Amino acid sequence: MNYKKMVLLPMLAAAALFVSGCAPAMVSKGEKFPMMYEEAPRSLLILPPMNESTDAQAKDYYMTTIEEPFAAMGYYVFPVEMVSDIMKQEGLYDTELLYQMPLDKFNAYFGADAVLFTRIKVWNVSYAVIASSLSVAIEAEIVSTKTSQKLWSYTGAVHVDLSGGNSGGGLAGLIANAVATAINTAAADYVKYARIANARLMHTLPAGPYNEMHQKDQSVQLYDQRAKR
Amino acid sequence: MRMRINILLPLALMLGISGCSNQPKPLYNYEDYSDKYYASKINVGEASNLELQKSMEQAIEHADNSRSGRVAPGMYANLGYLYLKRGKAKEAIASFKQEKGLYPESAHFMDRMIAKIEAAEEKK
Repeated sequence: MNYKKMVLLPMLAAAALFVSGCAPAMVSKGEKFPMMYEEAPRSLLILPPMNESTDAQAKDYYMTTIEEPFAAMGYYVFPVEMVSDIMKQEGLYDTELLYQMPLDKFNAYFGADAVLFTRIKVWNVSYAVIASSLSVAIEAEIVSTKTSQKLWSYTGAVHVDLSGGNSGGGLAGLIANAVATAINTAAADYVKYARIANARLMHTLPAGPYNEMHQKDQSVQLYDQRAKR
Repeated sequence: MRMRINILLPLALMLGISGCSNQPKPLYNYEDYSDKYYASKINVGEASNLELQKSMEQAIEHADNSRSGRVAPGMYANLGYLYLKRGKAKEAIASFKQEKGLYPESAHFMDRMIAKIEAAEEKK
């Protein structure tokens, strides 16, 4: 055994231990969200997002990204713009009231099997000369309008470094980096990353009746987020 | 010669991988609905709404370019709502009926909307 191997092997072993020690707990969709399979809602009423971020526009912008992924997972999704305008007319748009409504009202008015609550937890760009970053985090929850039980919930987050590539050392490089950061930040498209956050959520959602995987994806593994909290 | 294999092998692998990753068609064809919907929130007004309407009409026209072959849920309803906002009550009702026909889950809500429009039209 040469020197290289002697050092490398224990290091690899240590690294393997480290990785497995840090790995988050995995759980299957069926174990995590049994009620989703039992109740099997057909339709989701997407309510106006609750904006907990510092960006006032986040709510309107994020709303435009929700219908497509949930429909693609096989659910009937109610028309988002119509629903949100109705909520506005009823004075339920920008208030916590919406989240305190008895859920059977949504069934009575829209005929929805379940409602989808979304909370924008993070929607910001942190500016710095060398490295700016964009973060989006969305917490989503499906609640039955029939039993008021929570059927599914998950948080999708995306964190992107906007600094661009490394343009070399020295002062000239630093200045070039600062310029690149400014440009990339100006072009920062939250919605693009919100869609990625949505895609991460979709991976954990049991498929609905219009998707081929309906009632067949119980064994799909996902990170158990509750274990981290 | 050894060099050439070293270069060609990863290249061939890359091609093989990209060849395999042919994504299946999406369940529904949305065209650029989400982008146009977003654009209508950035620049609120008649022009961006018209663009959104066109995008939806396109998505409906090319609905068969999808795994389901159906128009996406909510698409007819969203389009009908745009018609309604432009004062086209008849077209709105027709779209809401399409939505209901395609997705019985929406029947309760669509019937409610149609009844509302008809009541408003009678008052005119």
